[in-house]
Amino acid sequence: MTTFVLRRVFWTIPVILLVILLTFLLMRQIEGNPFRKTERAVPEAIQRNLEEKYNLDEPWYVQYALYVKGVFTWDFGPSLVIRGRTVNDIIHQQFPASIELGLLAFMWAILLGVPAGILAAVRPNSVFDYSAMFFSNVGYALPSFFVATIAIYFFAVRWSLVPTSGWGDSWTFDSRKLLPSLTLGLLPMAYFARLVRGTMLETLQQDYVRTAKAKGLRWRRIVGLHVLRNSLIPVVTAAGPLLGYIITGSFVIELIFNVPGIGRYYVTAVEGRDYSVVMGLTVILSLIIVVANLIVDVLYGFLDPKTREAAA
Amino acid sequence: MTEAGVTVRERAPVEGAVSTAAGAPIAQAGLWRDAWRRYVRNRGAVVAAIVFLIIVVYCFVVPGFTIPLAGVDVPGAWTATQDIDPNKVEFSDANQGPSLAHPFGTDQFGRDLFARNAEGGQVSIIIGFGATFAILVIGILYGSISGFVGGKVDNGMMRFLDALYGLPYLPFAIITLQIVGEVSVLTMVISLSIASWFTTARIVRGQIITLKGNDYVRAARAVGARWYRILGRHLLPNTLGVLVIAVFLELPTVVLGEAFLSFIGLGINPPDASWGALAEEGRDVYRTYPYIIAVPSLAIATLVLCANFIADGVRDALDPRTRET
Amino acid sequence: MDTIRRILLVCALVAVSVLVAAACGGGGGGDGDADGDGGGQPAAEQVIRINLGSEPPSLDPVLATDNISSFVLQQIMDPLVRLDQDSQPVAALAESWDVEGTTLTFHLRDDGQWTNGDPVTAEDFVYSWKRLLDPKAAAEYAYQFYGIVGAEEYNTCERNCDRLADRIGVEAVDERTLRVELISEQPWIVSQMTHQSFYPVHRATVEEFGDRWTEPENIVTSGPFTVIEWQHDQSMVLEKWDEFRAADEVDLTRVEMRMISDGVTALQAFEAGEVDACLDDACIPPQEIDRLKETEEFIVVPSLSTYYYGLNLKNVPDVNQRLALSFALDRTEIVEQVTKAGEIPATSMAPEGMPGWDVYHQEFLPTTADLEQAQAYLDQAQNPKTDLTLVYNNAPGHKEIATAVQSQWSEIGMNVEIKQQEWAQFLEFIGPPPNRQVDVFRLGWLGDYVDAFNFLELWRCDSGNNSTHYCDPEYDDLVDQARATPEDEERYELYRQMEEMLFGENGAHPIVPIYWYTTTTLRKTNVEGWEPNILAQYDLSRVTITE
Repeated sequence: MTTFVLRRVFWTIPVILLVILLTFLLMRQIEGNPFRKTERAVPEAIQRNLEEKYNLDEPWYVQYALYVKGVFTWDFGPSLVIRGRTVNDIIHQQFPASIELGLLAFMWAILLGVPAGILAAVRPNSVFDYSAMFFSNVGYALPSFFVATIAIYFFAVRWSLVPTSGWGDSWTFDSRKLLPSLTLGLLPMAYFARLVRGTMLETLQQDYVRTAKAKGLRWRRIVGLHVLRNSLIPVVTAAGPLLGYIITGSFVIELIFNVPGIGRYYVTAVEGRDYSVVMGLTVILSLIIVVANLIVDVLYGFLDPKTREAAA
Repeated sequence: MTEAGVTVRERAPVEGAVSTAAGAPIAQAGLWRDAWRRYVRNRGAVVAAIVFLIIVVYCFVVPGFTIPLAGVDVPGAWTATQDIDPNKVEFSDANQGPSLAHPFGTDQFGRDLFARNAEGGQVSIIIGFGATFAILVIGILYGSISGFVGGKVDNGMMRFLDALYGLPYLPFAIITLQIVGEVSVLTMVISLSIASWFTTARIVRGQIITLKGNDYVRAARAVGARWYRILGRHLLPNTLGVLVIAVFLELPTVVLGEAFLSFIGLGINPPDASWGALAEEGRDVYRTYPYIIAVPSLAIATLVLCANFIADGVRDALDPRTRET
Repeated sequence: MDTIRRILLVCALVAVSVLVAAACGGGGGGDGDADGDGGGQPAAEQVIRINLGSEPPSLDPVLATDNISSFVLQQIMDPLVRLDQDSQPVAALAESWDVEGTTLTFHLRDDGQWTNGDPVTAEDFVYSWKRLLDPKAAAEYAYQFYGIVGAEEYNTCERNCDRLADRIGVEAVDERTLRVELISEQPWIVSQMTHQSFYPVHRATVEEFGDRWTEPENIVTSGPFTVIEWQHDQSMVLEKWDEFRAADEVDLTRVEMRMISDGVTALQAFEAGEVDACLDDACIPPQEIDRLKETEEFIVVPSLSTYYYGLNLKNVPDVNQRLALSFALDRTEIVEQVTKAGEIPATSMAPEGMPGWDVYHQEFLPTTADLEQAQAYLDQAQNPKTDLTLVYNNAPGHKEIATAVQSQWSEIGMNVEIKQQEWAQFLEFIGPPPNRQVDVFRLGWLGDYVDAFNFLELWRCDSGNNSTHYCDPEYDDLVDQARATPEDEERYELYRQMEEMLFGENGAHPIVPIYWYTTTTLRKTNVEGWEPNILAQYDLSRVTITE
């Protein structure tokens, strides 16, 4: 088992290297000048000075080598556009909000989605089942910018229950965090509800459940002990990629709710040709996804010995 | 891929009769017929399919169609110059609410939103299916080669895929769009599929490996069938069911992805617009004219829902065991 | 499983929720009521909450190039001169100044000081300006100083530059006297010095903290407010600095600034009462102007800026076609139906409200479409290019104008293809020189100082902002003459000749001017003194919150 985990962890290194290389090569294909921000042209001499300052005059492999060295020493270099701030500053200052938003959304998804799925499966075709499935279908299908706009309008502007936008300090309760995290959590919530309901219904028809029922075990005990456990395995499997998706997929939510996360930075950085910021953020985002996948693989290895053997 | 599947379904009984390679094709044809029967019996899935068709028809017929009331009739043309022209600016008609003449109202330029939403749907659906298709093609190529060849190649290709799994999808779509510089339907398709085919590749590989172990494939090998014949005749058609499901599961992701890109201002060039771009325009004025954002948003939602129900229906039809009672 | 019932239920519920949303949304138009009638007594709590629209990229005058950084700098620094409501430079830190030919002498007040207690001296300015001109600093706004002797040479120097730094015509005669040597008269130079790139910085602080001197724990400022807190991308807090030389006149005690970049969200925050005022149009999504301009919270003031469509003369070589395009454009329709914020249809380059406008203004171009005349010009054109590619950047508002222009030009048979790009790519694309695909491009010029020269020198052959391929040595001569003509009337006459070469009957028409901007902003009615000046500068030291 340890070798399996170690192997998996070891594998993340080439993955990160590849991500860096791909991003690096892709970013080089984009035309645009990070130093020209206004209509006003940048005089040639100044342009040259700037390129020299940020090593942009070096050949690409030198730049790449410098960059990789930077990543492994956790130094992502200075921002080209927001001068005076380094990419590390941006990561340290903006990432907590993104991560917190993602985790909160994930928490809602687990807290509301899983029980909804269980209850719906236990009483199929009931009113509760219908309404739970209605909300999860809608939650899955409606574009989040629509939900966000409507939610701000009703909850903040019309009923003044919560502020319209903003975030507040990290890891403290703040009513401003409710709407964005719920909106972002809607999709995984819906996903979990449907997933849990589906697998539960399937498990309920398995022979061993019928046997248990026939043996006269109490229904509650059967559901609690056997069905639930077996139905949650797919949730664990789905959780990893979904967590990665949530944390990286919050661009629109961050924009609309004015959450000081990295999503907004990403778009402006790409548009402003802020190479170092784009690289740094992509590497970090990839790291998160890789780690999320890693956790799932390891968990899965524990749950299912076959995978473990196949990998070893 | 879908077309290949259809041919197989229709011609298979005849060929199967002369084929020496076990009875697989016959069983397969029966499977498809049974599946079709089961699908038709699933009223939910049928309704979803019908709604889906209605949307597609609306999107592809309306922009080329002139309402007889408007005078000259130019059916078939993609952009008629009549009232129904999605890009016709007429300031005297600006910001009208829904009415008979303009079922979805007009925007600030007096452009008819009934026509614009149809045209937007066209763009969204073309991009949606285009990207889904691209994802499937790449996924199938990669997955089937890896699964079929097996051994070291398989191992290497899967490790590479593991690495690609780390790429975040939306950021790479954004970067790709910036590289190509010009946003068009084609570049949108490229950017949406470039970092999204990994899962499909994995699924296809898994299917192929399972199928490779099946008796009829072994039999085909035993009688000396060429590898491409085995791949094309036996393996791919049998993964078709999974792929149909994959299409309808992938479509929502792609449609929503396109909507997000349009929403953050990276959509195709105006005056053309996708549903996402129309919703973005509507968000500015959602308090005064709520229908401008509501129509395209709900259209996206309906399309996504239908695609899901269809995928569920196909899955249930192909694998009766998962059906709920 | 009865899926059909589920689907029907879904549809019904969706329909109901939409109706509810529509009904509620429709009634929401009047929610943005005023909090008070204004004009009352000063409130006990003098706190203002402002939406900046985005993070100020930098508080270092060397690096600040945008309106947001510039807004914050205006509140925390003490400039030599400020621009008053009549667009004239008035004394700020400089008590007075004398002009003798090309020598400019500023006399500083003796009570200007930094927040750490040091006095603000002439030496601070010499240091700050040389720091900005340092080629290694690569300041975008360095060209603002090129009217000063030796500035351009130093700024564009490549090696052994230090000796050139000593030759710049800026000198601290004593602690309170700053002498500037100019290369020519440039009568606008004093008003130009209201720009943030001329602000002083505190030498010891900059040298101690380097790039991080602008962080709130390090920064040393000299203006009416000082930076207390800066949570990047979220909020920034300023507080009144009680030791400021004119602190008695400042009412506000605290300024809380947020950075809501999405216009719709920002407007929601404003209407929910979370924000009292917005920098420029940070809370005004373009399409909401119609509704907002009816409210008392809406402010619109003229701005010294021109919105225009440039033409690539290599692709549209015939002046008759350019005239046709300019005549077919309905400027009035654009400002009334599309932009709607009281902009003025533009028929010349330098905007209305600029000194000398009466003299140089051209009225040759029509403000509404003159299709007959346009068609007549087009008929005279040799091989007009009817398939035109129009490029613009994807910031809010431009798409709408492009859509209108596309429709207007189609009236004379122009088939316009619109190409939307984002800023960096767009700037690269239009050059100069412009990409070969570019036929028409959108741009705007926001005045740096109050003189038409700033707008007219753009069309020199070697100008870094001239993406049209227009080049006329005669025009360049006029530019050089104007630079050395201190007498206003004579200079305005030169401007008239330049405008005529551009937009007169026999002009070259390298660009199609569309409108002169306005600055729009929202503020609650109990915020007094928020109005921006003609260069869109705000002065919070004049703002009062009333009951």
